[in-house]
Amino acid sequence: MQLIRTVVTILLLAAALLCSACSDEETVVKVDMNKRAPITAAKPAESITYAYLPQYSHTISFERHRKLLDYLRNETGLPLRQIFPDTFDEHIKMVERGEIDISYTNPLIYIRLARLGSRAFARIIEPTGSPDFRGQIIIRRDNPLIDSLDDCRGKRWIAVDPGSAGGYLFPLGLFMEHGLDLADFDEVVFAPGPGGKQEKVVLAVNAGAYDIGTIRKGTLDIVRNKIDLDQIRVLAQTRPYPGWVYSARKGLDPDIVERIRRAMFRLTMAREDQADILRTAGMRGIISAQDKDYDPVRALAKKIGMLSGGF
Amino acid sequence: MFSRLRFHTKLNLGIIAIVVGMAVTLLPLVGSMTARALIKENKQRGVALAESLAVRAVDPMLSQDYLRLRNMADEASGVGDVVYAFIENQHGRVLTHSFHKGFPSELTGANRVGRDGKVHIQLLDTGTEHIYDFAAPVMVAGQRMGTVRIGLSKKRINMTINQLTTTLAGMFGGALFLVTALGTVFARTVTRRLATLRKHAEEMVKGNLDSTTASPPEAHCWEMMNCEMADCPAYHDKRRRCWYIAGTQCEYHGQKGKSDNLDSCRNCQVFQQNVGDEIQDLAETFDLMALTLKNHIQELREAESNLTHQQRLMRTVMDVNPDRVSMVDTRMIYQAANRAFAQFVGMDASRIPGKTDFHLFPEDEAESRNLEAREVLRTSKRVDRQERMENEDGSEQWFHVVQIPVYDDKGNTTGLLRTDRDITDIKAYEEQLIQAQKMESIGKLAGGVAHEINTPLGIILGYAQLLQDDVDKGSQLHQDLATIEKQTKVCRKIVADLLGFSRQTESAKREMCFNNSVMEAASLVKHAFSLDRVAILTDLDDRFPIIYGDPEKLKQVWINLLNNAKDAFTDDGGTILIRTRLDTPKGIVTLQVADTGSGIPAANLKKIFDPFFSTKSVGKGTGLGLSVSFGIIEDHMGNIEAESPLPDGFPFPETPDAPLPGPGTVFTVNLPLDHCPADQPA
Repeated sequence: MQLIRTVVTILLLAAALLCSACSDEETVVKVDMNKRAPITAAKPAESITYAYLPQYSHTISFERHRKLLDYLRNETGLPLRQIFPDTFDEHIKMVERGEIDISYTNPLIYIRLARLGSRAFARIIEPTGSPDFRGQIIIRRDNPLIDSLDDCRGKRWIAVDPGSAGGYLFPLGLFMEHGLDLADFDEVVFAPGPGGKQEKVVLAVNAGAYDIGTIRKGTLDIVRNKIDLDQIRVLAQTRPYPGWVYSARKGLDPDIVERIRRAMFRLTMAREDQADILRTAGMRGIISAQDKDYDPVRALAKKIGMLSGGF
Repeated sequence: MFSRLRFHTKLNLGIIAIVVGMAVTLLPLVGSMTARALIKENKQRGVALAESLAVRAVDPMLSQDYLRLRNMADEASGVGDVVYAFIENQHGRVLTHSFHKGFPSELTGANRVGRDGKVHIQLLDTGTEHIYDFAAPVMVAGQRMGTVRIGLSKKRINMTINQLTTTLAGMFGGALFLVTALGTVFARTVTRRLATLRKHAEEMVKGNLDSTTASPPEAHCWEMMNCEMADCPAYHDKRRRCWYIAGTQCEYHGQKGKSDNLDSCRNCQVFQQNVGDEIQDLAETFDLMALTLKNHIQELREAESNLTHQQRLMRTVMDVNPDRVSMVDTRMIYQAANRAFAQFVGMDASRIPGKTDFHLFPEDEAESRNLEAREVLRTSKRVDRQERMENEDGSEQWFHVVQIPVYDDKGNTTGLLRTDRDITDIKAYEEQLIQAQKMESIGKLAGGVAHEINTPLGIILGYAQLLQDDVDKGSQLHQDLATIEKQTKVCRKIVADLLGFSRQTESAKREMCFNNSVMEAASLVKHAFSLDRVAILTDLDDRFPIIYGDPEKLKQVWINLLNNAKDAFTDDGGTILIRTRLDTPKGIVTLQVADTGSGIPAANLKKIFDPFFSTKSVGKGTGLGLSVSFGIIEDHMGNIEAESPLPDGFPFPETPDAPLPGPGTVFTVNLPLDHCPADQPA
């Protein structure tokens, strides 16, 4: 009798264990995989395209200008849509093809767009409070070979992009003022791949892949969370140049441009909601601009021979 | 059925049952847990894949780079068990996918990102396989840009689970085989020792208490402890462990004299070296039990032997006791009785316990005994009385009855002891004593009377003889005087006998020839007997024994015996045999006077030596002859006895002319040859 009770107890225990093991049965959705259909891309709605020169990654570009676009849509009632060219050249070509209506570019790209008929209508006030911005030459703090611009001779240099103002053009002008030409460097390379090139320069110098790097001032704040900034030393920074500029492609309805620039000019740091828009976009305000404001840049480009090419 | 299996088989079956039970219980459980863990791990992998793809898809989506999106989807679907990958925009429209021929339209609505914005997993059934579908949101700056969907086949998970389950089953099988083999070895080791215990137990049941099961101690306490206490019971005991020996005097033992206090032994090195496992303890306990049992049985046997001896002794004492002894309890039920009582009631002594008086005696007697016994029990007063019983042949028996209450240790009455002592002989002696006292009185009286009568009788006899001389011999007067003379002589004879009976006449003992004394008496009566046709034959010992006695008195005895013999015959006469024999070794001489007369009845045989007892008619005997003869023989330190009829083989000579012999009687007189100085006359 005792044996029977023991066996029954064991069986009940086993049953309980088995039940506990299979108690969380999942729900199943039946799907007929044989019902196939071709995928067709949706035709984008008619809109005014807005592009931010791919200075950073698309995500950062989207994030920085999303609120500003929302503001402009609400203020102007225009169907503004942000698009993302992968490279500076692609940006220029898209402007040339009429695919970008409003361009937000650095001054160097702008002088190239201006040659395609684009016209500046607004410029930003940098977070520093100035409408101008600078380029910076950075090295690793523990690099014993570089202590001045002259020490950069024969070193490997990584720049943002041949079309980058703060990340290439301005520092190159500074080097030339100090008597260094491109040929004086052991190697001059540009950050690879699409977007995010400012960050790539900082990371490459930090990794020791290159001796010196040139970036736009303000970039270090962006990579603050990715590297230890104490390991980076700013060797020198350029003189200020007019900052980033809004331009309208050739042929864009002037009324549209006017509605946009007015809405932009209304943005003020005095209002908290608008201040958030401006801080997110990396600016303190938007002011009026004219094409001649960028002559110093054209002069610099000419000085280093860039205008003879695509400029 | 299970209980009849061998123990090692049960052990094996138990071990196998445990392993199989564990396998049956744990395999599904482990399989299920493993499956769940694998599924969970795969889900996590799928989530990681989907989230990774969602992050990587942001830039191509923003830049509307469909080629890169397609490459991403293809790369994702090309990894292991990923069945498909596709990306939807924020409106749910599929931007790209990894399918080659069209897109399964039902997939889009089969899974959606949860409201919490996290990856949602949905199990899909395509009819041919199960697929885990992962829907991960594509987020940019907190805004959802679209959804990445990845499908992971469950087939690979199932294959992995099956492989794992098969491996586990194989491991359990191997474990079962290993455990069974080890269990068999273990079970046989245990059961072999148990079998030894069982065999030992059987030997004990058969009575063999000398066999030992436990192995002898590895080391002995007196050797390890350098003990010199030879008085300790454990000293030089090589068979038992010291902690099993009562009364050990070891100073390390907690309580001297208590062998069961093992706690104090735990730290002892003797204990630690000699202690075994439970079976070893059991074997040692068995051996100790056998030894104790043997000693106990030995003591019991000695006690039993002693008790049996005591019982036998008691039974012998009881049985050889001629008294009828019996004991009843307070309910009047017999508890014991001796052989005499058993013979009296006609039943074997062993059957008497449990009986009552009503089983053993007639109702009247039983009632009487019962009442008397109850009275004794009630009053606790001893009964001491005499009881007369009459036998069937008319003879009587006297008993001295004693009834005594029996008490236990607390003074309570537990029964009654009754003894019936046969005092018939004592009663006879008592009567004889009374008779003797009476005869002594009569003798004194008769002696006095005879002494006074003797003188006048002498005068009468003298005058009668004188007167005869004065008358004619043929005259009537002479005849009358002769009659007076004759009867006077008879009277003088009677008076002489009375004197001889009443007082011890002076003995005149001297050395005398026994045969001459006998022949002298025979010759005196021989002629007179012949007139009555009674012949006397003699068979005398020719060694002529000499005795020390009174010739006259002995002659009187012989004549008396011869007269009695003659009187036993009828008028046809008969033959009397006188026989003497000398028994030198015994120092006695024997005279036998035998006749073939009418004999003496058995009832009278004991009384013939009593004074005045006679079977003869009035005038023929006084009843004093044998009594006087008895006194004379006793005076000569001898004895006289009579037997009737003649004993078989008595050498009585054949006498053809004599009448047919009767039962006959023989009187035997034994006299000592020697005499002590005290017997000599002063």
